[in-house]
Amino acid sequence: MLIVSAIVSGLSLGAMYGLIALGYHVTYAVSSTVNFSQGSAVMLGAVLLYTLWITLGWPLGPAVAATLVLAALFGLVVERLLVRPFAVRGSNAWLMATVAGGIILDNAAMFLFGKEPRSLPSSLATSPIHVFGAGIYPLQLIIPVVGVAMAVGLQILLNRTTRGKRLLAVVQNPTAARLMGIDVTRTIAVSFAASAVLAAVAGMLIAPLFSVSSDMGLVFGIKAFAVAILGGIGSALGVMAAGFVYGLVEALVTSLLGSSYTQILVFSAVIVALALLPNGLFGRAAVKKV
Amino acid sequence: MAKPTSIPQARNQVGATAPVRSFARRVAAATLGAALLMAAPLRAEDTIKVGLVAALSGQSAKSGEAVTRGLEVAIGEINAAGGVLGKKIELVRRDDESNPAKGVLAARELVQKEKVVAFFGGIDTPVSLAIVPFANQAKVPFISVWAAGTGITRNGAAENYVFRVSAVDQLVDGAMLDYAIKKYKTAKPGLMLINNPWGESNEKGLKDASEAHKLTLAGAEKFDNADVDMVPQLTRLKDAGADTIFLVANVQPAAQVVKSLDRMGWNVPVVSHWGPAGGRFTELGGPSAEKVDMVQTFSFSGKLSPKGEAVLAALKSKYPQISSLADVTPAVGIANAYDAMHMVALAIAKAGTTDGPAVRKGFYDIGSYDGLIKRYNKPFSPENQDALGKDDYIFTHFQGAEIVPVN
Amino acid sequence: MARIPAGIAIGAALVAAFAFRAESYTLFVIALIGLNVVVMVGLNILFGLTGQVSLGHVGFYAIGAYVSGVLALKGVNFFAALPLAILVTGALGALLALPALRVSGPYLAMVTIAFAFIVEHGLIEWRDVTGGANGLIGILAPSLGGFSFAEREMALLSTAAAALSLLGFWLLSRSSLGASMRAVRDSEVAAQSIGLNPVSVKALAFAFSAALTGMAGAIFAPLLSFISPGSFPFFQSILFLFGVVLGGAGSLFGPVLGAAVVVWLPEMLSDFAEYRLLIFGLLLLGVLWLAPDGVVGLFARFRRPVARPVRVPETDQQAQLDTQLRPSRALPLRVDNIGIAFGGVIAAANVTFQAIPGAVTSLIGPNGAGKSTVLNIISGFYAPDTGTIRLGEGDDLAGAAAYRVARSGVARTYQTTQLFGSLSVMDNVRLGGADADSAEALLAFVGYAGGWTVRANDLPHVDRRLVEIARALATRPRVLLLDEPAAGLMRADKDALGRLLRRIADLGIAVILVEHDMTMVMGISDHIVVLDAGKPIAAGTPSQVRDNPAVIAAYLGGAQSRARGRSAPLKGPRDAVLSALRLTAGYGAAPVLTDVELEVCPGELVALLGANGAGKSTAMKALSGLLRPVSGDIVLKNVQVAHLPTHRIAHLGLALVPEGRQVFPELTVRDNILLGATARPDRPSAETLQKELDALLARFPRLIDRIASRAGLLSGGEQQMLAIARGLMAKPDILLLDEPSLGLAPAMIAETFDVLVELRDAGVTILLVDQLATLALTVADRGYVLESGRVVKHGTAAELSGDADLEAAYLGAKAAR
Repeated sequence: MLIVSAIVSGLSLGAMYGLIALGYHVTYAVSSTVNFSQGSAVMLGAVLLYTLWITLGWPLGPAVAATLVLAALFGLVVERLLVRPFAVRGSNAWLMATVAGGIILDNAAMFLFGKEPRSLPSSLATSPIHVFGAGIYPLQLIIPVVGVAMAVGLQILLNRTTRGKRLLAVVQNPTAARLMGIDVTRTIAVSFAASAVLAAVAGMLIAPLFSVSSDMGLVFGIKAFAVAILGGIGSALGVMAAGFVYGLVEALVTSLLGSSYTQILVFSAVIVALALLPNGLFGRAAVKKV
Repeated sequence: MAKPTSIPQARNQVGATAPVRSFARRVAAATLGAALLMAAPLRAEDTIKVGLVAALSGQSAKSGEAVTRGLEVAIGEINAAGGVLGKKIELVRRDDESNPAKGVLAARELVQKEKVVAFFGGIDTPVSLAIVPFANQAKVPFISVWAAGTGITRNGAAENYVFRVSAVDQLVDGAMLDYAIKKYKTAKPGLMLINNPWGESNEKGLKDASEAHKLTLAGAEKFDNADVDMVPQLTRLKDAGADTIFLVANVQPAAQVVKSLDRMGWNVPVVSHWGPAGGRFTELGGPSAEKVDMVQTFSFSGKLSPKGEAVLAALKSKYPQISSLADVTPAVGIANAYDAMHMVALAIAKAGTTDGPAVRKGFYDIGSYDGLIKRYNKPFSPENQDALGKDDYIFTHFQGAEIVPVN
Repeated sequence: MARIPAGIAIGAALVAAFAFRAESYTLFVIALIGLNVVVMVGLNILFGLTGQVSLGHVGFYAIGAYVSGVLALKGVNFFAALPLAILVTGALGALLALPALRVSGPYLAMVTIAFAFIVEHGLIEWRDVTGGANGLIGILAPSLGGFSFAEREMALLSTAAAALSLLGFWLLSRSSLGASMRAVRDSEVAAQSIGLNPVSVKALAFAFSAALTGMAGAIFAPLLSFISPGSFPFFQSILFLFGVVLGGAGSLFGPVLGAAVVVWLPEMLSDFAEYRLLIFGLLLLGVLWLAPDGVVGLFARFRRPVARPVRVPETDQQAQLDTQLRPSRALPLRVDNIGIAFGGVIAAANVTFQAIPGAVTSLIGPNGAGKSTVLNIISGFYAPDTGTIRLGEGDDLAGAAAYRVARSGVARTYQTTQLFGSLSVMDNVRLGGADADSAEALLAFVGYAGGWTVRANDLPHVDRRLVEIARALATRPRVLLLDEPAAGLMRADKDALGRLLRRIADLGIAVILVEHDMTMVMGISDHIVVLDAGKPIAAGTPSQVRDNPAVIAAYLGGAQSRARGRSAPLKGPRDAVLSALRLTAGYGAAPVLTDVELEVCPGELVALLGANGAGKSTAMKALSGLLRPVSGDIVLKNVQVAHLPTHRIAHLGLALVPEGRQVFPELTVRDNILLGATARPDRPSAETLQKELDALLARFPRLIDRIASRAGLLSGGEQQMLAIARGLMAKPDILLLDEPSLGLAPAMIAETFDVLVELRDAGVTILLVDQLATLALTVADRGYVLESGRVVKHGTAAELSGDADLEAAYLGAKAAR
């Protein structure tokens, strides 16, 4: 029963890490920058949904839609203000700029949304169902499904649609993509929007299980970064798989050894994994050129 | 009872008190105000300054806000009644970001630059512990209105300048265990502790208390603030035969514990430190949250004393965001700060001067003060610098959004 | 140069004098700034000198503080604990370097973040020693001979530590180790080829950096007298890095500014209470916008390097240099039967030759013949699958690490120069192992006439080549490998370079040259090995090789091609589709193209000819928008496009099939081709596209079978077909082809040119760049000849075909020797 519960919990958290990490993956693939305000986009998704749906009383559908649109807008702003000014001159100050952006958003949210956590009600996280003796909220089962669906959806979007293929073209060879008439600058901006949307979806999904607060993004953001790195930041399905691995390891370590050493063990495992596989669990080595 | 009055324009109160709705305007106002004030320092001689070093941003921001509100309401009353030693009291606040190093720096700045007569500490025990040696060395009274770590007031200094109007972990832990044994016949306690200094401090207190009662623990499990699922920890306690859960956590993770219990279908008594009272516990934790018994020093729910009614009214008029009792949280932070501020004023009045050592003596000379939490009688002595004791803890639980005493 | 230590001392003394008058809050702030300076100097070693990002330095800070704190509580004197704290953190730094060195970029960032989190949780859990989350209380101030330190003494101690660390940084950055760190940062490849082991250099940087951070932490503990895990939040790591970046990575006094801002700014904002972090975040961002490369970078934009006059070395100094450079014992380099395959593709096989001391041995052959691969195997960047490489009778060098090969006496230069770009010319050469005097002599020897203090990145192209050779010589090599040293040089420079290489060989060094410039190769070589498709096809003296028909075929092509001229002369409108007017463009200071004028009319096939480095590919990049900015005009169908970005030009009807094919390797052949239609203004429907695709494939039968496979799996020839098909899918008004025959087997070349003929006859307007001049002229209507970035000749294909000068441009005049 403990194991079942740990596995379900690990899968749902892992799916969420995977979704956020997919965002890191998308932006890194097209622009070779890491967006450290990604955690704040998770918070933004949850906070916006709460504000629109609960505080302002919008119907759920439009509230979700508006949240996604606003999250995409946030992604565009991040790219335009925190990444592009530095990336175009080859400076890596985007690292600190995106951290600063996260701080600003978190603190702004603290004043606008309030300082105390709120609960996003959901009928899917109220009464548990019982599977092999373990109590599970239906939402916990839905999250991994949504996660996998979004990863597969992303994969289909990328591989089956013209727009997706253009994005892949930019990833694989930006110069040739330009020659095809693809606006690489715009594609990068779009990828940041997509990245923020993925994070916002994760935020909306986790909110009913967790709670909504202005500082909820930080920890998720860091763990998801570890997932993105472990998955090999260049491989989309690897990232999702790494999300599940991370979530399961975390839940199982807590179940079997107690929570005191969870973070120590998990982060040590990250270091060891990277030392052994410098390009991540599912990454591929680049050909060395001289 | 004094009505809240307008407060002299103080340099750091722009954000906290001005009823400006727009966030942008508040920032702009704060920026402008600070810029003006940096250019022309305030006539500092006209006021008596008291300081606050607390978490005003980040995870514990709500606690800093509560303390600020309690202090401001009390200061409003004091100033309306003519102030102390003929001067108005002015509050100067500093954000410690829950970082002891920042706290020490802020304390030094308040004492040496702002020349505060006394200053208050916030929720974080490590920050207060870090400030204690400096307060004793600088001979400026430091009053903890939240942090419950035992060593803050019992710091071994020959001349102790640290006072507290709050719970003491060691005493709370003893009270929780006594209560559980009496009510639930607890034989095997299981501890669920937040993985932070507060949880750690209570781990020790609860273990000591269990030992005193010759009880063996089923286990001590920890969790982080951002943990979503506490089923693994709870299952381990259940498997170890725990018959009562002792919970030490703030409202958000405490709610996760309740939800996890729900999912497990484990109906076990939960006796909690005061953390859940700091927010919308029932909103976050669902109906089962009502079953949790919590230690409290004060609650605005139920029938209030005239003083309680007055303070509540003052809060509502001063802070328009407060519309219902669910918004007056955490009540203990407000109440502790409110009483502490009044007692500081009394101590200064007794001392007749703002000189640190004299004010310290003033604390010992406070006779009786009819406060919000209780009627204090000789609250401080060199042997006991804690104004609240074991008898001041009441056990409560949530009923809907309100906190009511356990019958 | 003693001004800098004096400056540090005076600065520290001023702070100390101020400290004697300050009250305790100010003292505390001074102490914190001092400690931040120490940390940031440490991080500067890692980030500024070595180029490694750490987001986990707060972990080292915490460990230093806890070592000092725990020992102080056990009654150990602070001054005994301090060295221990430094040792422990230094050792941990070196330990963390092990995994950290295997990864880079975001992976490295993650390793350091993980480290910081492990430290934080470790401190919480190791409660018996660390006091857990509630930390260590009552850490006593340091005492010296019974005298206990108060705030003032702590401020002085921190200031002294800051001054010492600045001095240490100054010494380090001037030392050869410091230069090695910069070298590794600028170019790991070049660092290895002068015998540096990047792994140990980076590990040392990690250890130094951690030790300094630990030292600061060790002072932090008694300063605060209380430490807990909460005193070391993750965000602090970001602030440390921010301080370094703000001050300017690698700059000596940058950390002072950075520390002052990181500590003072929050204090200035303390009145904002709960709004402080928000405003601090905004200010952080503002500072980054204003000075993304730090304040030092801001000033550097206005500062011009001081050029110093070059001293002409004395004659006896020159003679001395000759004896220094002459290898003590001349040894031949014997390459025996080496071979290597990448993913099943054979890049080199059965390559055997001997490079004799005192002789120039040249490797020639078409692009993709495996010449650079052979150089990379010899210099240790590739481990060969077969064969041995020995210096004389020495150990087998095949497969040894590059820095070991370099240390054994094999130096090299690179096709794209690999200088340490941020270092001065002088430092570049000195890093090779020369002292200042012989470095000057070496620079004079190679004919470098510029300033010694100029940063290598600011050098013009020809000087980069020369400095790179001087640096290689500074390692006192027995063997010198040169990879296309003449590429991009003008005729006069090439001739001078040829003489230089001859002189180097005459000193008794074995010179191995890979080069396309036949005038030079034929002029200076003693022995020539010709490679084609990874295999040696001929070897011998220049005259033997020059007359070898196989060699002529490999270079001029044409012999077996079915390509032919137009059956009927082209009669079309004469208003140009594309024209360039006074087009001037380049990558650095010196333009690669100067005043190029050319035009292509509808239906024409125009060839752009010229030697390697003449500027053909640069012209293609400038025309297609990949190279910006350019001066002069480019007109595409009456639209000025010189200022437009590539994708806009593509939408206006220009398609470039770039050099090296540049297919999208992970996409299918079909998707690659369809992406070509992105720029179509008519936005064809899926059905239309499918029809067009089918029609197109009829022209490229090879692609039909491969339509669903990933483009990366295709052979070079198939990829070239794919790239052309992709370009045609855009239905362009003009198709630009850059080196379509490059690296292709002869049969594929013929097939490719057949396609070009078909396209030409179908009326497609084409501008063609190809090194196979004869073949290109066979199919072209007209041609332009570029030399050193200028159009030196143009005319009809027939006029150019019989031109002896053109042959000279490619193979070198036969009369040259």
